[in-house]
Amino acid sequence: MSAIATPARQSTGGISARTVNRIVIYGLLALFALFYLMPLFVMLVTSFKTMDEIQNGNMLALPQAPTFEPWLKAWGETCVGLTCAGIKGYFWNSIKMVVPAVLISTLLGALNGYVLTKWRFRGHTLVFGLMLFACFIPFQSVLLPMATILGSLGRFGVTLRNATGFSFGLGNPTVNLVFVHVVYGLGFTTLFFRNYYEAFPTELVKAAQVDGASFFQIFRRIMLPNSMPIFVVTVIYQFTNIWNDFLFASAYAGTGDAMPMTVALNNVVNTSTGVVEYNVNMAAAMIAALPTLLVYVVAGRYFVRGLMAGAVKG
Amino acid sequence: MAFLEINGLRKRFGSVEILKGIDLDLEKGGFLVLVGPSGCGKSTLLNTIAGLETITEGEIRVDGRTINDLHPSKRDIAMVFQSYALYPNMTVAGNIAFGMEMRGVPAAERQKAIDKVAKVLQIGHLLQRKPSQLSGGQRQRVAMGRALVRDPKLFLFDEPLSNLDAKLRVDMRIEIKRLHATTGTTIVYVTHDQIEAMTLATKIAVMRDGEVQQFGTPAEIYNNPTNLFVADFMGSPAMNLIPATIGGNGNALSVVLQREAREPISLPLADAPTGLSAFHSKPIIFGVRPEALTDPEGAERNASNIATADCHIEVVEPAGSDTFAVTNLGGKAVVARLRADANIQPGTVTPLAFNLTKAVFFDPATENRIL
Repeated sequence: MSAIATPARQSTGGISARTVNRIVIYGLLALFALFYLMPLFVMLVTSFKTMDEIQNGNMLALPQAPTFEPWLKAWGETCVGLTCAGIKGYFWNSIKMVVPAVLISTLLGALNGYVLTKWRFRGHTLVFGLMLFACFIPFQSVLLPMATILGSLGRFGVTLRNATGFSFGLGNPTVNLVFVHVVYGLGFTTLFFRNYYEAFPTELVKAAQVDGASFFQIFRRIMLPNSMPIFVVTVIYQFTNIWNDFLFASAYAGTGDAMPMTVALNNVVNTSTGVVEYNVNMAAAMIAALPTLLVYVVAGRYFVRGLMAGAVKG
Repeated sequence: MAFLEINGLRKRFGSVEILKGIDLDLEKGGFLVLVGPSGCGKSTLLNTIAGLETITEGEIRVDGRTINDLHPSKRDIAMVFQSYALYPNMTVAGNIAFGMEMRGVPAAERQKAIDKVAKVLQIGHLLQRKPSQLSGGQRQRVAMGRALVRDPKLFLFDEPLSNLDAKLRVDMRIEIKRLHATTGTTIVYVTHDQIEAMTLATKIAVMRDGEVQQFGTPAEIYNNPTNLFVADFMGSPAMNLIPATIGGNGNALSVVLQREAREPISLPLADAPTGLSAFHSKPIIFGVRPEALTDPEGAERNASNIATADCHIEVVEPAGSDTFAVTNLGGKAVVARLRADANIQPGTVTPLAFNLTKAVFFDPATENRIL
């Protein structure tokens, strides 16, 4: 409609209302983008500066002599609490925790969504409602009960080790965190997959049944291969959440060797010996943020597609 | 013993009864069409035969074997779905072979079966494509290929043509008919399109509200509908169902049709059904198909009972192959089917020939046929 109206208005001379609107909209967007990107910019430039330059120069200025020194120091030498071996160990701690937690919660969510849409049972809406409710439970309220449960699991692990010589990971802080994040993520992953599979044609499942595929064969051969968009959405969502989690990480693995990246970063910044090395802190923070950024860059184009899936065409 | 037998089949969802005691049978090599308006239970019935829905009561037998409680894959059936239900992540060949793969058929044998089906359906050049790269008609073909490759005892089709455009639908209809003729398979086919039902079936079951209204050959259904619903549902343009009364006396009954601002038409009935005398001077529904109401020159020559009456023509619709004329009888618009070149003008009064041998009568209270 506006395409028809615009030439008529332009022919009367002056700037059309449409152009003014565009300028206002893009101007505001640019302003917001600038505002949003400013901290990232400061972090990035600071992490490439020497301490001298930080202390004497402007925060927004570009580094005069860019150096990788702070990054290397953050990775391999900086002090986390009392140990000074960089954050690399904690980075791997996070990876070891995040990858299994993301994969397990995503697969279980997919399985839940599959059952809740294609193998409906009496009371399936109630079950889904309860799963949905799990999305709204505040983290703080499960902190203590979960600690009790993890404690029990740990004691059970000790008993197991005494009996069989192997604890099956029970009581291990990394395993504990994986467990917590899987349980906590299930609500969200189930929600994502259920909504996606709701719009997934049931006739495909019926056809596969006639073809003689079993419950899991249908899941593996028909459902999963056609779930790429929602799979990516869920992985990004879970990865970001679990990687960035600080509360559970500090509560259940806040000390010792299994400490994840987020807690370690906090300890780097809080280490109060000598001068505060802003460049090293910034570099450490950038390293901590990189994996989530990377996930977005690699899989981001699926993200919007997955979020929109089912919204337009049923 | 029939090849497919359905005895007293009932299906309840909670307190709602979807299928209210269905009895059907089909001989080997037959083509049964389940037809009816949406929500009549025809798709549910097909799904119970496929085993995709359980039944509450009754029995389904195929080739003498009760299959009620068997898993769909164990029933020796194949199904073609409305949306084709091709697996989007697999190639055409993968789609066709999926069932065999699930049953653990060796790859070489699968390839042989794929090639054979591809040849029959002429989809050889499509085998390596994904379903999204196919046109509607090609998808339909692949879906049939997936069913054919199993070589099942029973084929089930669930409204397979309803997603195609009009021209392609006619082509595929002929193709299905040819397939049935050449392979001699037994088919159960669901549709809401009565033309598909008429053209394809050897047996038709007209369904409404979970009940079979009439079960018979297409000719029986078309010429001898048992009730008003079947008469109205089958045939296009639909049968004219005109409120009328029975006049005359003794053996010479006649149908009296009221007209607006004119004296009623009285059509003498030569061989009226015996039940009709009980309805003397009572209201009935007079049913006459458009092709049994035509211009006197175009009327069937060897019909024994033709009555001619002058009718006021309101609308003329030339359809190319025929010309349809609309008049008003008994307060209803009545369609007559004339030769394409019939000389007829709207607004004129023209004699129309009623072929009363083909006429049927219904009791307005019970809606059943008067025999």
